[in-house]
Amino acid sequence: MDRRHKIWDDGHPWGSTKNPAFFSDFGNSSGRLTASSTIYCVLRSELEMFQSFSNNRGSFNTTNNTFSVTDDRPDILAWLSPLDPKFRHHDIQGRRVENVGEWLLQTEEFRSWYAGSEGGESENAVLFCYGDPGVGKTYIR
Amino acid sequence: MEIRGSEKPILGNKCKPWGTEGQVLTCGDVSSLVVDNLGDQAGGQNTAVACFYFDFTARNKQSPVSILGSLLKQLVCAEREIPNEISRAYQAQKKVIGGRGPRLSDIVKMLQTTSCKKRTFICIDALDECVAGHRVKILDSLNQILQKSPGTRIFITGRPHILAEIRKRLAVRITSVPISPKRGDIITYLHSKLAEDTTPDAMDDTLEAEILKKIPEDVSEM
Repeated sequence: MDRRHKIWDDGHPWGSTKNPAFFSDFGNSSGRLTASSTIYCVLRSELEMFQSFSNNRGSFNTTNNTFSVTDDRPDILAWLSPLDPKFRHHDIQGRRVENVGEWLLQTEEFRSWYAGSEGGESENAVLFCYGDPGVGKTYIR
Repeated sequence: MEIRGSEKPILGNKCKPWGTEGQVLTCGDVSSLVVDNLGDQAGGQNTAVACFYFDFTARNKQSPVSILGSLLKQLVCAEREIPNEISRAYQAQKKVIGGRGPRLSDIVKMLQTTSCKKRTFICIDALDECVAGHRVKILDSLNQILQKSPGTRIFITGRPHILAEIRKRLAVRITSVPISPKRGDIITYLHSKLAEDTTPDAMDDTLEAEILKKIPEDVSEM
């Protein structure tokens, strides 16, 4: 992508169209003035679109320009994944009985797993909680 | 009201098919409890929490890319700005005709970067309900994230048989805790269900006391 930017910004012939000389031929003959000013306007607006487009493109390489980034936010999030686990989370949350299972949060295993993140250690990085219908007599899915 | 917990139904009701209703404490409950708790503690801090709930009935939609993408989406949602790395990847794919979904390797890289920036918790519920082939990819991806971002904490629930696979795929020490309802859980649960009783006339103090005494005893014998 970066390489393409470079080609557009530096190498594209339209890169030089900021210079009004590019349009000067259109205005030379008075008989074609109306037609040529229409063409001028069309070209001009296309040029502006092109310039704003390539400016926006460029903004993705900088950290300060957040305008276009903010604009794309919903699209980017949707692109990352169509799944939305919060519905399932709310569903379970809603039928859970308050305080049931809270003991887990007090266990040494949970506490040290949680605390480890502060120090950025790889120790205790994974906590696996298991249950089995055959063992716990059907309490766990 | 019914509680699964013995071969024969308690309180004379017919046992429902295997499901979540009437169970005192499921994996999902534990995951949701942990996610909420982490979320509460994270409030205002430099912490991010992402969760995923596997569901066997939705397995066709739950591909490794969409699952890990969903974790990344949650982590990024908490940020005020989308990281440039992700914006760039999004813009780059748009140039392909019709656009292109994210690639697993890209998602993993973005997860590595994002999880390094904050104290990150990833919670995965019911990993055993994930399609076996997908599970390998997901665990390998989680492993890559842990290697780059050792402070990341991963919480997983599932049936015990998948512990061997987790150990094999994740090159870190794994702590495991068995989940079964404690006596206190059962009593809390019974109180809650008794309070919701739709036929309170059939209940009296003696019966209630008997329920609160007998059921926790029966369950604890198992």
